[in-house]
Order: sequence, then C-alpha cells, then structure tokens
Amino acid sequence: MEISTSELKRVTLFDIRGRIDSTNAAELGDALNAAIDAGRTQIVLDLSNVEYMSSAGLRELVTALKKVKRGTGDLRLASPSPRVLEVLELAGLDSIFEIYSNQVEAVGSF
Amino acid sequence: MGEEHRIVIPGIQDRVPDVCDFVVAAARRAGLNERAIYHCQMAVDEACTNVIEHGFDSAGVAGQIEVLCRDDGESYTVRIADNSPPFNPLLRDDPDPDAPLTDREPGGWGIYFIKKMMDAASYHYEEGRNVLVIAKFKTPSNLLQAEKPPAGTETQVRELGSHIWAITPTQTRLESNTAPAFQTAMDAQLDARRHWLIVDMSHVGYISTSGLKVLVGAWRRSRDLGGNVVLAGLTPHVLEVFETVGFDQIFEIFESVPEALEHMSSQMA
Repeated sequence: MEISTSELKRVTLFDIRGRIDSTNAAELGDALNAAIDAGRTQIVLDLSNVEYMSSAGLRELVTALKKVKRGTGDLRLASPSPRVLEVLELAGLDSIFEIYSNQVEAVGSF
Repeated sequence: MGEEHRIVIPGIQDRVPDVCDFVVAAARRAGLNERAIYHCQMAVDEACTNVIEHGFDSAGVAGQIEVLCRDDGESYTVRIADNSPPFNPLLRDDPDPDAPLTDREPGGWGIYFIKKMMDAASYHYEEGRNVLVIAKFKTPSNLLQAEKPPAGTETQVRELGSHIWAITPTQTRLESNTAPAFQTAMDAQLDARRHWLIVDMSHVGYISTSGLKVLVGAWRRSRDLGGNVVLAGLTPHVLEVFETVGFDQIFEIFESVPEALEHMSSQMA
C-alpha cells in the first residue's frame, strides 16, 4: 500500500494505492489520525487504485469517520472499484459514507 | 479426483498475504471469475487474521496455519486448519449492517464477510486443530463466462481510427486447427488495403508455430504495403513464446489496444 497526501484548500486528499489489509491498515489509520489531529477534518480518500481492502481497512475508515464527525468534518470516498464497493455495501457502509464516482466530485462536495 | 494444493505458514500476520496469493492462484486455476476470486481471497484473509489475532496472539501461543485448496469439479474448497485453542468463529454474532454510525464498533466484520461471501462455511475441531472449510460452488455466477463464439465469428474486426483496424482473434489457442481461420481474417484485411492493424491477443493463451506464421506473414505484407502490424495484450505464456523465438524483436508489442493505437497514430502522422 502507498499513501500520498495532498493538502488542498478545504480538503485533505489521500490517494491510496495497492492492498489494504491487516498487515498495513494501521499505517492508514496513523496517516488519517495525523491529519485529523492537525485539524484537517475534511477528508477525501481516493480509492480508485485500491485493488483490495479487507475488514481491517474498513475498521480504520470507520474509526476515522467517527472521529471527524465529532466535529464538523467528514470523510468521503471517491471511486472505489466494484469489488471494494461490494465490501462497503455488505457492511452497510454505502449509506454511512458519502461515496462519489470520482475525486473531483468528492473534493467539490465540501 | 480433483486438484489439491497446500501451503503452511507460521501464525504471524505478515505471512497472510502469501496465503492470499496462493488461494487466488488456485481459484484462478479452478476457473472462478474475478468477483468470486476476490471473495475467496477476502474470506481466507479474514479467517487467518482472526486466528492470528484471537487464537495465537491473545492466547500467547505460537502456531501454524495450514491451507488446502481443492477443486473437485463441483466446487472450489479452501480448508484452513490451525492449532490455536478451540474456537468456532461461525458462532459469533453478526454485526448489524443497518446500524447507524454512532452504534457501530469499527471492527468485528471479518467473520461476517466469510459467511456473506462464500457459498458454504463449516467448522469442526479435529485432532487438536480448528478446521474451517469454506467453498464457492462452480455455478455460472462464480465462473468465467465460456468464450465460445458462434462459428464464423472467431475473429472480430473493428475500425479504431482513420485507417487503423483492430483484429481480435477470440480463439484461446492459435494452433494448426485454428490458424487457417485467423489467416483468412488477416488476409481479408490486407486485401482490403487495411494495412495498419492492431492484433488484440488478450484472448489467446497459447500460440503454436502455425499461429506465429500467420502473424509474421501478415506483418511482412503490411510492411510491403507501407503499413504495420502490432500486437497488444499478450498473455504471459504467449509473451514468453515470443521472447523465446525472438519475435519480440520483430513485432512492436503493447500492453493494451489503446497504447498500441496511440503509438500507431503517431507512426502514421
């Protein structure tokens, strides 16, 4: 998994690539925490290059969402693959997260 | 009857991706489609992760996990055995996918995914080991669609751009008995003065000298006419054949048809 972060005007954009599983989900959690702790609570995760995500990844997403929702922030998802979207749907997270078909729409939604 | 493959890993998280790769490769050999393969990978990942976190780590025991993949023609089965303390994961209460965010624990979804994604899951304790058996049935919804085009349509032809045509042989094997139909299709293009051709090889898993001859013949003719024949989407085995016989030095080879198109357009300009 590779994570690259961009600080946009109103949004922190995380571009994630590769696999998110139990061996590396904590890294994602750490990256999200660092942004949130720095007051960057309007977050977009671009998932278009995530080929695989297990429940360990979901755990980090939900943890971060709970955290930003304590304030006025939000964590929104952009272009998950059909496989990753199915994982989100099975856990009912498609109605908990705002999901956009691409990065531009997700960033523009804030 | 049936094909069986086995891997054993120490019970540590860093080795679980090895099991995932192993299970994916076996599922692919069993002919499952990408969605079903993803389900198998995730179910096995969740099962192993659960054993390591709750069986080995929290009980403070070291151990190992054995994974057996089996294709018996009717179903693709993965058997996961570990020597952690007895525990039936399938008896765990399911989390509620309709729960609002405030009522949710972030974790605890692993076993739920196993049950939802697999067609069957069972647990027993046997000779000092937890044994979880999960399966995907080899039903049409789990299998790759059989690619058997109707007779006479073995080769698809379409125009991509001005004067550039894509030729797609849909035969999975280009060999002595399928090469003549392919030859006819290639000749038809060149006879029609279509001499900028991209051959989409993504369906072809095997090529013999008969198939190679058709490609080389068409390439020569196209060069004589001032055009070119390039190849796109070669499967690993076919690429290996090309490298072995040195044909990768003759043909321009691209990952995909769009890449080939881009290159060819610039060649023509």
